[in-house]
Amino acid sequence: MTAMSDNLIEFPRGERERCVTGIEGLDNILNGGIPRGNTVLLTGSCGTGKTTMSLEFLVHGALAGENSLFISVTEASTKLLRNIIPYEFFDESLITSGKLTFIDMPAMYERLGLEKSEFSFEDIVLLVDAIGQIVEELKIKRLVIDSITSVCYRLKTEEKIRDFILRLGKTLSEKGCTTILVSEISPAETRYSLYGVEEAIADGIILMGNLERRGDLLRTLQVVKMRGTQHSRTKYVLDLTPVGVLLVPLLKGGGGD
Amino acid sequence: MSISSEVGEKLLSLPEASAVAMRIDINAYFDVIKAITEIFAREKNLNVVYITATLPSASLLNAMRLLELETDHVYFVDAISRIMTSAIQKSDHIMYVESPTMLENILLKVEYLYKKSSVENKNIVVVLDSINSLAIHNNHRILSEFLHIMVNNLRTKEANTIIMAIEEQSTDELLNIIGFVCDETIVVKGPAEGGDVE
Repeated sequence: MTAMSDNLIEFPRGERERCVTGIEGLDNILNGGIPRGNTVLLTGSCGTGKTTMSLEFLVHGALAGENSLFISVTEASTKLLRNIIPYEFFDESLITSGKLTFIDMPAMYERLGLEKSEFSFEDIVLLVDAIGQIVEELKIKRLVIDSITSVCYRLKTEEKIRDFILRLGKTLSEKGCTTILVSEISPAETRYSLYGVEEAIADGIILMGNLERRGDLLRTLQVVKMRGTQHSRTKYVLDLTPVGVLLVPLLKGGGGD
Repeated sequence: MSISSEVGEKLLSLPEASAVAMRIDINAYFDVIKAITEIFAREKNLNVVYITATLPSASLLNAMRLLELETDHVYFVDAISRIMTSAIQKSDHIMYVESPTMLENILLKVEYLYKKSSVENKNIVVVLDSINSLAIHNNHRILSEFLHIMVNNLRTKEANTIIMAIEEQSTDELLNIIGFVCDETIVVKGPAEGGDVE
């Protein structure tokens, strides 16, 4: 592997181009970054750092010159912005220059006439096309949807969820956009997603969790699957800091699971 | 020559990226702290990352000030105050870890301070005080794994590691654990034994 610049890495023949996340530990785990165009499920229970990490992924992208978009389904983007300002590497001009964009999904639903409790297959086409159009118009290279679980609440059936994620993944991949779909699961959940469908379709799964060891609660991260790259599957402990997400391997001697 | 000056001379001659076990007589404890601070923070202009599992950082800071040591370049990773439910000071120079059993979080705080120091174009030296205190709270297997990861990670950053062991409290097994990861051992005797440094 030859480093050409901070964000452009040339890989040997046959290896896919990477979207360097800018999160050093994660890029090392992924052998250089997420294969460009992949749709990745970032999954975990509440308080595990999913939103913080996905925001960092976008900020690093914007800093490297890639237009980045955050689609917020549950929280107002003004509130989210307050979470990224403590980052020492965050620069407000990323937003004013259009490198980093925030869109609230409820506003999109309203614009598309999708203010309903259950979407039809036609509604899915409409929503995916609208997202694809925004990605194209704004030349988006990194996208986060937080959370996909909230969108899935309106899809109800496995067939619709499958159709939505397949369509979305295909549309974004064709545009060279690397996507993180944030998925919420309960702490006791044995699957990686609420409906069990999302995990089967996504190109990658990054699992975030809370590990209790002798009364201590550790935040953990594990890459379960990532198409297009070799990667570590071990569990790491992470910290959310003003310099970004930091990762170290989980020590095995303590009997953690 | 004083104990701290003798220790200082030994520390000054350490090669970059080396890991050192310091077997200390309890009566020479503050002489060693004085030597470490003066050599690494003042002479070598490094940021000293001081992991304490022995005394709360507030007590160590007070002691350092009494010894008239410069503490501007000393950063504490305090793994003991929270477990003792001691009062927590808000300071850029102190990072608290919830418990000395959270060894990964100690590694993460060291990594954070390394990154912060890199911004100032400064390297760090990491001082672990002490292996004995960590051994009270952790089994030897996980402690050994922790040291192996920390020391090797710091080596790749060309940073020195100093692992303190209080001679009177150290078992052979504990000394073997630090001997495995360290390149060198410095033995510091107390004033009653002549204060020799070997």
